[in-house]
Amino acid sequence: MRPTDCKYQKTHEWCKIQNGIATIGITDYAVSHLSDLVFLDLPAKGASVKIGESFGEIESVKAVSSLYSPVNGEVIDSNKDLPDNLEWLAQEPFGKAWMIQVKVTAKSPDLLDAAAYDAHCKAEG
Amino acid sequence: MRLIVHEPSEAAWNMAVDEALLVAGIEPTLRFYGWSPHAVSLGYFQRIEEFRDLPPDTPVVRRLTGGGAIHHGDEITFSLTLDAASLPRDIGASYRLLHDAAVAALAAAGVPSRRLVAGPTTSRNPADRWCFAQPGRDDVVTERGKLLGSAQRRIRFPRARVLHHGSIVLNRPELTPFAGATADATTCTAAFAQGLRDLLGAHISRALAMDLQPGALTTAEQTLATRLCSGRYRDLEFVQRS
Repeated sequence: MRPTDCKYQKTHEWCKIQNGIATIGITDYAVSHLSDLVFLDLPAKGASVKIGESFGEIESVKAVSSLYSPVNGEVIDSNKDLPDNLEWLAQEPFGKAWMIQVKVTAKSPDLLDAAAYDAHCKAEG
Repeated sequence: MRLIVHEPSEAAWNMAVDEALLVAGIEPTLRFYGWSPHAVSLGYFQRIEEFRDLPPDTPVVRRLTGGGAIHHGDEITFSLTLDAASLPRDIGASYRLLHDAAVAALAAAGVPSRRLVAGPTTSRNPADRWCFAQPGRDDVVTERGKLLGSAQRRIRFPRARVLHHGSIVLNRPELTPFAGATADATTCTAAFAQGLRDLLGAHISRALAMDLQPGALTTAEQTLATRLCSGRYRDLEFVQRS
């Protein structure tokens, strides 16, 4: 059961917003479709992120995939240890494999709750 | 599927058109192009510092796709841009589909090759900086070495789409003497290259169950490619990012 205190995107990112700060990562579903993860690029502190735009990229098995922001805001922290420990994504995608934290100015109107996201994943196959 | 055949162009323009087709393309497109002048393309995550030993004045471009560096010389370069739903969802399976089509096309052109079914998938080792240095699982190889190097970029917004581009070596480029080449099996005349392009088009379109129709860039794709060429691919900050 995916965390019910998170919201989700159809592009398979999760976010948890508390006190105006969003912690963002990618879901177990996304990780299951990526194998042999090699590189991860995350934005620097102070960078702006926008809804529907890429905030980073991840490379796996010769495919680079874009990661999409569910919020508008400013990056206040990124998980600096994650690029050298990509196995965390398979171990704890909602925990220690968080990617960025953002001071939120707006959030996507298309965020899904856990049940709706589960249904979306089932429909995708 | 739209078929576009472009004359050899500068590296930055080649990459700009591929990205424009990925982002703004509506229909599935198979494109053939070439490199004039010859150039080196880096994988998206590679560090420019690892290539300080390139001959002076070697044009260098950074790809949107991953993997190792390629010295693009006398080769057949193709790019496929299409909705992700048109390919197997599993990335490895999508490579196998397209690489099997390439092996069949090469065989029909008189060049024996095979797809490796075992081997490493990818590497963070800087010693493996060249795409053609270390054949891995699902790569297309000859007895001499890796013959086809390809890579993907996947986006999910606004639509789930894939760019898959690849290089088949005709004559071995000077910076990658370890690569396989079709010249090991046959004389690579202009007629041979044209014939191989035709066979690749036929086998890829058959693998995807799509008919090929000659076409050209739309105005929107051309405009976006022009903007990307100067705004990204010719930008030294992007080429030298680390």
